[in-house]
Amino acid sequence: MSTEDNEQAGGLRSVSRTGRLRGTLAFLITCWKVNLASAMEYRASFFMMAGMMFINNFMWLFFWSLFFGKFQVVNGWEMGDVMMMWAVGAGGFGWANMLFGNFNRIAPIVAAGQLDVYLSQPKPVLLHVLASRMSLTAAGDFFFGLVVYAWVGNHSLAGLLQFLLGLLLSGLLFMGITILAGCLAFFIGNAEGLAQQVFNSFVALSTYPSDIFKGLARTLLFTLLPAGFISFLPIGLLRDFDPAFVWKAVAATLAFGALAVLAFRLGLKRYASGNAITLRG
Amino acid sequence: MGSRVFGDRLELLSARSKKAGAVARITMKQQMAYKTDFIMRASFMLMILYVFVQLWSAAYDGDAGRVINGFTLKQIIWYLVFTEAITMGVPALCGLIENEVKNGDIAIRLIRPLSYIGYHYAAYLSEAVFRFYIHLAVGGAIAWLCVGPPTFGLGWAGLFSLTLGALTIAFLLNMIVALCALWVEETRGMEFVLHKLQFTVGGMLLPLDLMPEPLQRVCAWLPFQAMLYFPARTAVNFGAAPLLQQFVIQAAWIAVLAAAVMLMYRRGVSKLHVNGG
Repeated sequence: MSTEDNEQAGGLRSVSRTGRLRGTLAFLITCWKVNLASAMEYRASFFMMAGMMFINNFMWLFFWSLFFGKFQVVNGWEMGDVMMMWAVGAGGFGWANMLFGNFNRIAPIVAAGQLDVYLSQPKPVLLHVLASRMSLTAAGDFFFGLVVYAWVGNHSLAGLLQFLLGLLLSGLLFMGITILAGCLAFFIGNAEGLAQQVFNSFVALSTYPSDIFKGLARTLLFTLLPAGFISFLPIGLLRDFDPAFVWKAVAATLAFGALAVLAFRLGLKRYASGNAITLRG
Repeated sequence: MGSRVFGDRLELLSARSKKAGAVARITMKQQMAYKTDFIMRASFMLMILYVFVQLWSAAYDGDAGRVINGFTLKQIIWYLVFTEAITMGVPALCGLIENEVKNGDIAIRLIRPLSYIGYHYAAYLSEAVFRFYIHLAVGGAIAWLCVGPPTFGLGWAGLFSLTLGALTIAFLLNMIVALCALWVEETRGMEFVLHKLQFTVGGMLLPLDLMPEPLQRVCAWLPFQAMLYFPARTAVNFGAAPLLQQFVIQAAWIAVLAAAVMLMYRRGVSKLHVNGG
């Protein structure tokens, strides 16, 4: 093969990769449009669920306002920091659950043999599974995050960019950890309870100030169950920008994301299903 | 004639109690079968209480002798154990009834010779009492390790005597939300809000004594305090309020909420159309 041929092949590969990327993006956008149209079919239910979740989150802020009404500062945290912790946590969880609403349903999907329908289609399996569902309550979470930011956040350009980075990291971490836990179903069978437990614990831990934890608990919060990277965002990213923390948060997000994808790929090799005919709901 | 009518009624009541007892026994056996589910819930309770211990220790600066609005750190932690044990003891009634309405199973329940509400109450109470004791044991273990033994004397009697009324109020509140499924089908959002009302104005996360005075006055007119605050406060601060007064308030709320449940049930069922089941 001549140099010219090699260049031509390289160019074709690059064009095909770009084309595939563009095709995947178009597919994702179509999934999101269909999910939204499906949610809008039951408009009243959608707005009620989202609205209730919005109120639900505000009830937590109400608790924290009572708490901080009694104790103004707890280990350096004030009411504003807790509000931003909720804005980043709920907002990040919200966008992830709106766009990739199946991320906390991997375990039941695998255990019930419902991956077959995704495997038979020429699209990236994990991405397809994730984008096939939109959570109705997630819109309330996301909107709540935006409202709290508008209320107490830093509205400068830098502040906005930091908040957006916080949302991105928080959503990706939620997805990484939850998918990783869901992939246990490939290896141990019915892992729905365990995956749900990891998910619940992660959500709970990400909504309490990380500085109340000391010693081993704090170490675990920044390693094994890295909810601390979400709950510390209002301090390390938004209030007192700490490059070392931000760098570690980005690295942890990428690492857990990569681990989740790897676990899913390894799991797919072990995946087996019965003869149940499954359809996408 | 009068004694015969009385005798018939007594017989009917006895038959109903037997049916409710049978439902309660079956529910208990079902609970014993799902041990893994149990361990999962108990471990979540452990984690949540550990978080609370850390949070309140930070708020009290680790000072075990400090008293805030009548509560020491030990009393606060044990108070949270009791409120959590009751809250986590309450089974997920809304999801259960919502599913019965959605998939038509309610049709099977309605044709049985047993009150629909009565059936759910018997099953609920059996599961709730069982779960309450398990969560109390698990939560008690971590609180004992972190802040010391529960030396509350008569407080224990207060806790157990008020818990039955508390669980009944929880059932009625959840049933009111669950019965909304007969009109709107989706009740999860309303259930979330109900839970958060219990968490906040019910005193689950924070004793009402630590809340601002105006809010305490509002909470006094709501049913949520009779569900969580009464038993837990009585346990850690026996004598802070007359026990009889708390019983009367619980009984009044049970009467009001039961009337609301029956009204909603009659109206909802009369407009229900089920295809399937």
